[in-house]
Amino acid sequence: MKENLIPIFVILPLAGAFLISLLGKRIRGFSDIFSNIIAFLLLALSVYSVFVVNSVGVMVYKVGMWSPPIGISLVLDSLSSFMLVTINLIAFLIMAYAANYMEGYTAKWKFYVLFLLMLTGMEGVIITGDMFNLFVFLEMASVASYALVAYGTEAEELEASFKYLIMSSLGSLFILLGIAFIYGYTSTLNMADIANVLLQKGPGNIVLFVSVLFIMGFGLKAALVPFHAWLPDAHPAAPAPVSAMLSGVLIKALGVYALVRIFYSVIGSSPGILFVLMFLGAISMVVGVFLAIGQWDMKRLLAYHSISQIGYIFLGIGLGTPLGILGGLFHLFNHSVFKSLLFLNAGAVEYSTGTRDLREMGGLKERMPVTAGTSLIASMSIAGIPPFNGFWSKLIIILAAVQAGHPIYAAFAVIASILTLASFAKVQKYAFFGKLNKKFKDIKEVPVFMRGSMILLAAICIISGILVIPALSRFFLGPATDVLVNGTDYAKTVFGAIR
Amino acid sequence: MLNNPLLLLVSVPIAAGILCLFLPDRLKAVTRLLVFAVTSASLAGSVYVFIKKPLYWQCCGSNVFLVDNLSAFIGMGIALFALLTAIYSFGFIEKSFGRYFGYVLMTLGSSFGVAFANDLLVLLTFWGFLGGTLYLLVNIQGTDKASAAAKKALIVIGGTDAVMLFGIALIWNITGTFSMDKINLSLDGPTAYIAFLCLAIAAFAKAGVMPFHSWVPDVAEDGPTPVTAYLPASLDKLLGIYLLSRVALHMFVMNAVSNTILLAVGAVTIIFAVVIALVQHNMKRLLGYHAVSQVGYMVLGIGTGTAIGIAGGLFHMLNHAIYKSCLFLSGGNVEKKAGTADLAKLGGLAKYMPVTFACFMVASLSISGIPPFNGFVSKWMIYQGIIESAGANNPAWALWLACAMFGSALTLASFMKLLHTIFLGRQAKGLKDVREVGFSMSFPIIVLGGLCLIFGVFAFKIPIPLFIAPSIGAGIAYLGIWKSVIATILIIVGILAGLLIYLRFKPGQFRTVKSFVGGEEADDLGRVSGVEFYDTIKDMKGFKTLYKKEETKSFDIYEVASKGTFSFSKLLQWLHNGILPTYLVWCLMGMIVLFFLLMK
Repeated sequence: MKENLIPIFVILPLAGAFLISLLGKRIRGFSDIFSNIIAFLLLALSVYSVFVVNSVGVMVYKVGMWSPPIGISLVLDSLSSFMLVTINLIAFLIMAYAANYMEGYTAKWKFYVLFLLMLTGMEGVIITGDMFNLFVFLEMASVASYALVAYGTEAEELEASFKYLIMSSLGSLFILLGIAFIYGYTSTLNMADIANVLLQKGPGNIVLFVSVLFIMGFGLKAALVPFHAWLPDAHPAAPAPVSAMLSGVLIKALGVYALVRIFYSVIGSSPGILFVLMFLGAISMVVGVFLAIGQWDMKRLLAYHSISQIGYIFLGIGLGTPLGILGGLFHLFNHSVFKSLLFLNAGAVEYSTGTRDLREMGGLKERMPVTAGTSLIASMSIAGIPPFNGFWSKLIIILAAVQAGHPIYAAFAVIASILTLASFAKVQKYAFFGKLNKKFKDIKEVPVFMRGSMILLAAICIISGILVIPALSRFFLGPATDVLVNGTDYAKTVFGAIR
Repeated sequence: MLNNPLLLLVSVPIAAGILCLFLPDRLKAVTRLLVFAVTSASLAGSVYVFIKKPLYWQCCGSNVFLVDNLSAFIGMGIALFALLTAIYSFGFIEKSFGRYFGYVLMTLGSSFGVAFANDLLVLLTFWGFLGGTLYLLVNIQGTDKASAAAKKALIVIGGTDAVMLFGIALIWNITGTFSMDKINLSLDGPTAYIAFLCLAIAAFAKAGVMPFHSWVPDVAEDGPTPVTAYLPASLDKLLGIYLLSRVALHMFVMNAVSNTILLAVGAVTIIFAVVIALVQHNMKRLLGYHAVSQVGYMVLGIGTGTAIGIAGGLFHMLNHAIYKSCLFLSGGNVEKKAGTADLAKLGGLAKYMPVTFACFMVASLSISGIPPFNGFVSKWMIYQGIIESAGANNPAWALWLACAMFGSALTLASFMKLLHTIFLGRQAKGLKDVREVGFSMSFPIIVLGGLCLIFGVFAFKIPIPLFIAPSIGAGIAYLGIWKSVIATILIIVGILAGLLIYLRFKPGQFRTVKSFVGGEEADDLGRVSGVEFYDTIKDMKGFKTLYKKEETKSFDIYEVASKGTFSFSKLLQWLHNGILPTYLVWCLMGMIVLFFLLMK
């Protein structure tokens, strides 16, 4: 009865959000402690789920005991547990950071409520086996994130949030339209069942039409160029923990995961779709990094890099070869770690100095050694300097691209990598190295929880390169890759797990 | 597994380096002891490897590390320069002691990793890590200029690492293996050429060959001096040229086109960098440009494709590392004691720093290719290589030869200026209290200066048969005759004869008076500083535009590329005007294109 584990991923944060909204205002410190406990439990649970899935195999939970395709089913396979570990790891560390950081805002408990709701939505998207249910969770996470972006309620935040709201709703709308079309075509909403029906009916124009709607909708959530324009406004405007969460995992859960799950497991990956994914990935990679290098706002620069790095992930996964998918998923994990760390660093700098403008900083490593050190590690990771984790995933993606016969894409990845290095050399030079700006000679290093979570993330940046060595990859990355490599066998596995 | 000498040589310095990072400045003595123990043990270990070669370390069914004659020789060089730099730095470095030596040791370990690696991915990993440590080492002082130089070095070197990764991916795709000993590609298609160029570019950037040279003078000018002596002047040269010779000698079968590419790159580098060096005003920057110019000889030597040329190139690499680190370290002594590296403020230091002066002079004569010092022998071999390669495959040999010889003459000219300006002439103002440096800073330069002489006089007895000839694995046929020992004796006889004649005319029969202008003592007026020695060239036609272009950084690939990047970035930023309807239009346009692509 181990599948009873699955709904806890949704119930726990949802219940947490509910309790905090009731008690958070009344009991001081309740929201801090309680939400951190929940985040820790989720992390422990998701690590446990990796072990369970490795030993038991795919698990399906039938909501209300209704068997699919009639009822909603929740599915936990290796890809889901991989994503759950990624999300909950980052969420836990960010939650700890927020305990100190959010002191500067009023009504901290509201932040936790929204944060947990967003988390609920993301976990739901990952574990659901039902198309419409996926949409519901997706909207839940999105709506919570609109509110979180606007959390500071200054002009900048509100404008960013409004833009994000409009564009993201547009994406949601097209996703819903796509789901409606696919329901009309297959008469079912269960993802495994849709896959079965599509296999029997064969591909039709309607499937291609739906594919475009999904690429646009989920691509917008993932900030693929040309659907990316909301991101550089929304991510910098949010409070640092929220930026870290949005850039680190939200775009991946709502965008990359959903898109990949639908195209690999449900609709099936055709060469045309893969070409589009790779192409959009390559464009995002290059456009994102060119935009990033010209920025002076530290968080905005990071936000543009998210676009670029998402491009790498799509390039890897879009190659469709096992090596490419492995590289893409590995980069997804690594990017979650180093990008959230970079946003937390930017938050720490803003917390101590009150500025996000690189031109005003300088020499901060003298006063903020922990922030500077962890930021150096994260920058080296994203820039692809060995032995940090970003190097290994970029290495795999470039090797895979050449192996799959796409040397041009590999060359684009190389160019983007050089420019990424250049722009992080810029961040390091202007923010942390060089002479200390006199204005900041009395600033202090950030409080203990912020330091702790930055140090932990930096440690993960250093060691997570080992995830790719065969002995460990067999355990964590390998099975997740296999789920995508096996493609529409998803349906067989899911129905096999029910009986 | 743990008793494998190769693995120990790579891992022990890195582990010790990580330990050093956490040693506080209070425990300087402990750090010193640890660093000295590790670097001297590394030297001993590398000698052991050199004697015991060939050695290998296997993991996962393939040779991860494999040492042949070439890499064993490079390994010894690495250890020697690490030890000398460490000893020198004990006296030079004051701030961030633990961090500095931590990075130095990590650099040592990963340089061994590069030299010993047989797997291309292992090579790439250590290679990339070296870029990171260079960045941190240059940044160690925390000045604005140093951090700008560090940024440039990181971008050029790290960027070319990515290019190298692409080349490795192509090679892997063609041959199906990462093991360097199993790769023997013929250059018979565009893919192979691109792969060759990608690896060559990485080697060029590390060694500082044009057009990837611009980080070397910047780091030389603004970085800490021992770091410059350690990385751009010696280790990066050793490793860059090591990779180039691996690529050109073992992994690819060279042909006329690829050789010509190397020859042209080498010749341009020699001439161009030395012309720029002539007019520099900063001692360290001037030396930095020479560090670029000299690499040209090595590339030229390897590009000849003849045994003697390649041997000359490799020998020149070793010699260059010796005399250039000697120059940088003696320059560092001058800077430390005089407090400036600006040539206009230096002068007449020979009296106060005799040891430094002697070593600097020996190294200057070496780099200028004056017999009997080592630089002459290797240049001589390279010239022979060029002449030997003359023929249908190398029609422009006379041009390359002329470039190499002319470059050598200009080097001499430029070092005459340097020697005069720093050590000779009248003493500059404000240099009254300059004293000779202590033992830890003079020992390394004495060793290096001595090596310059020994490797020159006994070139055909010690370094060439021991290190160079086995590395290229082919017999070297000499065209000309150069008996270095006899020549040295003749030179000494000549000098003695000159001395006799000089003494015959009784020196000391002159008087020294102060110079006066209009009855006032003219202190600095009569001083010929030497900074402007070659300023006439600056105004010559042709050269004038060259120097102008250099001043506006038109030859700096980093500046040119960043200009292009930022203008493209500006364009994209202009497109992102923040207006919501525009963005929505993009989304819809994107959808239309997707409809067209997928449903046509």
